[in-house]
Amino acid sequence: MEMQFEAFRSQLEESGAVRERIRAVISELDNVVRVMQASLLPVHHATTQQAAKEVLNKAKSYIPQLQKLYSQLAEIIRDRPGQYYRYHDHWRNQTHTVVFLLSFVHWLDTQLLLSHSEVETLLGVKPEEFSIDIEDYLIGLCNISSELPRYVVNRVTAGDYECPRQVSAFLSDLFSAFRILNLRNDLLRKRFDGLKYDLKKVEEVLYDVKIRGLLSNQAAPKPMES
Amino acid sequence: MELQEDVGGRAFGKKPRTMGISPVQTSSHEMSPLHAKFQEIGRELDVMNEKRERLVKASRDVTIHSKKVIFAVHRISALNKAATLEQAERDLNAVRNNQVTRLARELQGNDYWKFRRAFSPGMQEFVEAATTVEFVKNGRLLTLEELNRSFFDIKDAAKQPFEVSIPDYILGVGDLTGELMRLAVSGVAAGQPGAATAVCIMIRGLYEGFSMLPALHENLRDWRMKSDTMLQSLVKVETACYNVHVRGSEYPPEMLAGDFEYSGDDQS
Repeated sequence: MEMQFEAFRSQLEESGAVRERIRAVISELDNVVRVMQASLLPVHHATTQQAAKEVLNKAKSYIPQLQKLYSQLAEIIRDRPGQYYRYHDHWRNQTHTVVFLLSFVHWLDTQLLLSHSEVETLLGVKPEEFSIDIEDYLIGLCNISSELPRYVVNRVTAGDYECPRQVSAFLSDLFSAFRILNLRNDLLRKRFDGLKYDLKKVEEVLYDVKIRGLLSNQAAPKPMES
Repeated sequence: MELQEDVGGRAFGKKPRTMGISPVQTSSHEMSPLHAKFQEIGRELDVMNEKRERLVKASRDVTIHSKKVIFAVHRISALNKAATLEQAERDLNAVRNNQVTRLARELQGNDYWKFRRAFSPGMQEFVEAATTVEFVKNGRLLTLEELNRSFFDIKDAAKQPFEVSIPDYILGVGDLTGELMRLAVSGVAAGQPGAATAVCIMIRGLYEGFSMLPALHENLRDWRMKSDTMLQSLVKVETACYNVHVRGSEYPPEMLAGDFEYSGDDQS
């Protein structure tokens, strides 16, 4: 009996050491994520396309660091096949933010949604080795939605009256896409429930712009009718 | 079960509509690429949630049947020991071959730790039942290795052997102390003062073993609660031993029974 507990002790301590190693990577990841997020903030008040481009490039310049840290996580997990979810909690929150940052930058760049596999490609992780949990990806997407109302307000203030239409089209598309999913009563569901308020705010801005005749082309198709 | 299949049916029913490749299906309603991707994600989530539901159900079945085994062990008396024990072992084997096997078949690869929360309660209860039976039969602790060896023909969905994890084993053994305490108290009450001593040695060993383990990260709250309960059980059994020791000589054996029946009720 004593021997067994001794064996448990060493195995649990080893698992604790794994957690320590993961925590060390995560605290570095925290730093990168924070700086990357801060570097992206000026996009709200970039006045020229050039300035916005520079902000995006600055934000993108952190991606290699993210790749490095995720490859370190992958390396730790590689020695423990099947135990990804044993330690998943350690990188969950950070991954939400990482997905948010990557997909927000991607959207600002291309007006398109970054797919799950594109996130994995950008982070340089191999799905069979260290995948990004699908729910983490979806929660990250919900975070873009909460950033967009602020972005729209600032763009309009800066005189970009087309922005609300784009954002509203994108967000309503995203919203209706989320409605395809059968969500459980969990964090993701809670985040999804917030999406409609973001959409509402964006639509209000669109309405303000439209009713004052600020939109250049009134004949453009209304995105809400999708 | 009916409901689950219905959900599954709907999810898969979407499939042809969502693939969106055949022109016939897309002509009426053009689907944005975003929607197509989310259809795919939706199917993935459905499959995952249905699996989780099935695991929760399987885990509950393991719990129910394991509990029955434990209750049966508590009904053991000097008269029916051999027969009841044999029955308990047979029932335990049935749980292993039916409910646990069904549970294991849902899992593969990363699933074990992903869905652990769904099936862990059942496995803990099974550990508790198996270790209780072993203690009553042989007066020793069934080790995790022995337990996993008894699972030799249980395979997961990837044909890999299914095993009980260390945290589940430890938490199950934590519950075992509660059962042992009950066995000791009822044993003393039934006029077998020796029962308390054997149990006391066992729980003490377990408690000492537990004390040197680092906290279980996977179940921090359970871990703390169980460590506390364990100490309480140990104190109860030690008190019973003390009572037998101090007062045992004052009473003829037939009076001992009455005395401990009372103190057993009082403490549990």
